[in-house]
Amino acid sequence: MVEALRLYVRLVRLSMQARLQYRADFIMGMLNIIALNAINLGLIGIIVYRFVDMNGWIVWELFFLYCLWLLGHCLYSLFFWHFWEMEEYIIQGTFDQFLLRPASPFVQFMGREVQYIGFADMSVAIAGLVLAYTNLHLHWSLAQWLFFPVIVISGTLIETALTLMMACIAFWTGRSSMAINLVMEFNVLVQHYPIDIFGVWFRVLVTGIIPVAFMNYYPALMLLGKLDPQSPTAWLGYISPLVALILLVIASVVWRFALQRYSSSGG
Amino acid sequence: MKIFWSFARSTFQFIAAYRFDFFMEFVLAVVRMYGIYWVWRILYTQRPGAFGVSLEQMTTYGVMGMALEMFIWSRPQWYMATQIKSGAIDTDLMKPLDFHLYMLARSIGEMFIGVGVLGLPALIIAYIFLGVQFPPDLAAGLMFVVSLVLGFLLLFHLNFLLGSLAVVAMDIRHISWAYFSVVRFLGGQIVPLWLFPPFVAAVAEVLPFKGTYFIPISIYIGRLTGMEAIQGLGFQIVWLVVLVLLSRVLWSAAHRRLVIQGG
Repeated sequence: MVEALRLYVRLVRLSMQARLQYRADFIMGMLNIIALNAINLGLIGIIVYRFVDMNGWIVWELFFLYCLWLLGHCLYSLFFWHFWEMEEYIIQGTFDQFLLRPASPFVQFMGREVQYIGFADMSVAIAGLVLAYTNLHLHWSLAQWLFFPVIVISGTLIETALTLMMACIAFWTGRSSMAINLVMEFNVLVQHYPIDIFGVWFRVLVTGIIPVAFMNYYPALMLLGKLDPQSPTAWLGYISPLVALILLVIASVVWRFALQRYSSSGG
Repeated sequence: MKIFWSFARSTFQFIAAYRFDFFMEFVLAVVRMYGIYWVWRILYTQRPGAFGVSLEQMTTYGVMGMALEMFIWSRPQWYMATQIKSGAIDTDLMKPLDFHLYMLARSIGEMFIGVGVLGLPALIIAYIFLGVQFPPDLAAGLMFVVSLVLGFLLLFHLNFLLGSLAVVAMDIRHISWAYFSVVRFLGGQIVPLWLFPPFVAAVAEVLPFKGTYFIPISIYIGRLTGMEAIQGLGFQIVWLVVLVLLSRVLWSAAHRRLVIQGG
């Protein structure tokens, strides 16, 4: 375990160095991601500016929702974005390299790439959360402060586990990026809008089947003091870490199955 | 006729080979339409009739914004970027036809595939499940179709200009992220221009982007009627002429540079 971790850190450092060689590319990528987020937030801002609130969520609460999701997501995109490219490794047969070396294929694959775009998301997310916190005059208790990083990490793990499971589809069909896009699409909706505006089946879907609502919506209810302790579903605000854990267990089982299924395309 | 059949066959093979991708793309479109439908439904339940538009008109606007993506979205920029990067663009330039027209023909072909496999099915879902209305009258319907075609051509030329940029920038992947959101934002795909705060609206009103989604859909839901609708079409035509000229000039400049580089 310690050995695997050490290897991972080493690989990540190498990937980071490889990435940072392209300085102009790095700066362009950062600027564009910041612009993209600014436009998304602008759209939410315009809607709420015209309609005052969205089902009881005022603008800073919506920004909080958006940025809480983004903070969890940025760690995912920093380290695990290349799950998206898994299908390329499988179709071209280059996945073989991970099986030949005497180390965990998972660690090798994970350390393969680092996406600096995660840093741009991170700066937007932190700035947005700080602004939302001050403008909403929030005063978190110590417990809430301690729970906050746990929620963020849980968010990262939820997205990572879901994407990994989707990426594993490529071991059977050779294609998986569209399945990852599907998860991403639900993510986008959950990131932008509070799920209480949607119909029942959508809420059930993002709570129980593709549980991305635990990345931001349910914990945000708790952190923004919108949780009604009398409500029979109040406990949903606290179980993000549990959801992350369950998903990770399922994802690791799927990954193990997928590896057994792998037969090289001989590329 | 023979050419037509060989084209149809290769198209069919293409769809068959990527049927999983197409199916997923369709699901994505439905999810997007569903999402925006609820956003407007909730907001208009809060404030019925806000900004002189009914709930039905507004949800129709939102859902059409998502559904029409398949009707007007073309991707010449990706093809141009890959060809330029790999140097394979020289084979395209050697072909005895104008590159700009060649890209347009390719994009129209892609658009027909997209509309047939994704666009029309998505629209049917929208009509049956998401309460999308038909245009108020025949005239609006006809003007909408004209406006939609102009919207496709406008967006094609904007994308073509982005693709020409690949000659200078080599990698347009990052720029395209911001570019897509600018088109969506200023084009009014998600939020119509009449909701924009005055200073943003003033900018969006003069730029070509509003000719992509905003004008066709506004005509469709009956927000732009009569003289205003015709003015909208005129706006699209004027910008189209400007963008065609710009594309010709920019591409020929890029082409010269490309030859110097030697591909």
